[in-house]
Amino acid sequence: MLAGFLTLLGCQLAGEFMQRALDLPLPGPVIGMLLLFCGLCIRGSVPKDLESGSQKLIELLPLLLMAPAAGVFFLGAGFADQWPAFIAAVSLGTVCTLVFCGLLIRFLQRRNSHL
Amino acid sequence: MSDLLHGPLFAITLTLLAYQGAMFLYLGSGRAAILHPTISGASFIALALILLGKDYHAYYHNIDWLTFLLGPATVALAVPLYRQLHLLRNMAGPLLITVTVGAIFASASALILAWLFGANQSTLLSLTTKSITTPIAIAVTQDIGGITTIAVASVILTGVVGITTITWLFTKLDIQDDRLWGFCLGLAAHAIGTSRAFERSPVAGAFSSLALCLTGAFTAVFVPFAARWIF
Repeated sequence: MLAGFLTLLGCQLAGEFMQRALDLPLPGPVIGMLLLFCGLCIRGSVPKDLESGSQKLIELLPLLLMAPAAGVFFLGAGFADQWPAFIAAVSLGTVCTLVFCGLLIRFLQRRNSHL
Repeated sequence: MSDLLHGPLFAITLTLLAYQGAMFLYLGSGRAAILHPTISGASFIALALILLGKDYHAYYHNIDWLTFLLGPATVALAVPLYRQLHLLRNMAGPLLITVTVGAIFASASALILAWLFGANQSTLLSLTTKSITTPIAIAVTQDIGGITTIAVASVILTGVVGITTITWLFTKLDIQDDRLWGFCLGLAAHAIGTSRAFERSPVAGAFSSLALCLTGAFTAVFVPFAARWIF
């Protein structure tokens, strides 16, 4: 499992390095993810250590996210006028996205099967 | 005595306690979306901090090493993406077009609605990533100068809205194919949607997690470029 963590940290480090060296607008961890993905495609399989290490981290995501999420309760008065916009974007935006994607994928799928 | 309350030991104990309590509630309720562990755990932490009269920023500073793990967790998402890649066979065209157009639609619709309701620039920046999985959303938001907390809250609430409305919406639209159902839910509602899709069927779950990974990767690439250009 630790060897898996080492791979993940190594990819992140390489990603952060590339971001700074090439002045990319992408976040370092995302570049690291793309690097690891390319590596897996070239290798053709997932090493056991990497499988268990990444599985553990992904399972723990709710724990890692609780502290940043708790900040919502401490935004202060400065954010008070932003709540309507926040709620509109999250509720209406999500419903619109689901309907839009549903209609689009059904259309594409039907066209695909007719060809 | 009171110095104990200010150190990392207290902060991490509180966080783990909140996590255990949140998981207990979530599993006990049969995985009710509104009791998602991130929501109930965060509420528990906030309540404890308010009752103890403690400063949120001091608490956050004490567990920043835990938040640090979000970096490697983002990299780890390459593994499920690689695992689900075979699902693209036969349906690559429709799926890839839907991900590209749908991910842009998810960000753009959030931005337009928020702008109509009077959002300021930092709120807008924090809402662009609402449809992608949280670790990637945090990485992108920090990079483009949004507020991490708003980004996390919008991602999680988006997931909750997605899984509470999809059954009704897709029955109305008459979309019952598990592959399309799961894919749209993973696209719009990331990991929360994916866990709901797995409850429907393993096929819906697999397509949902493919959509989650593709949307995350694609949004992470286009949002920073778009943000540089728009703001």
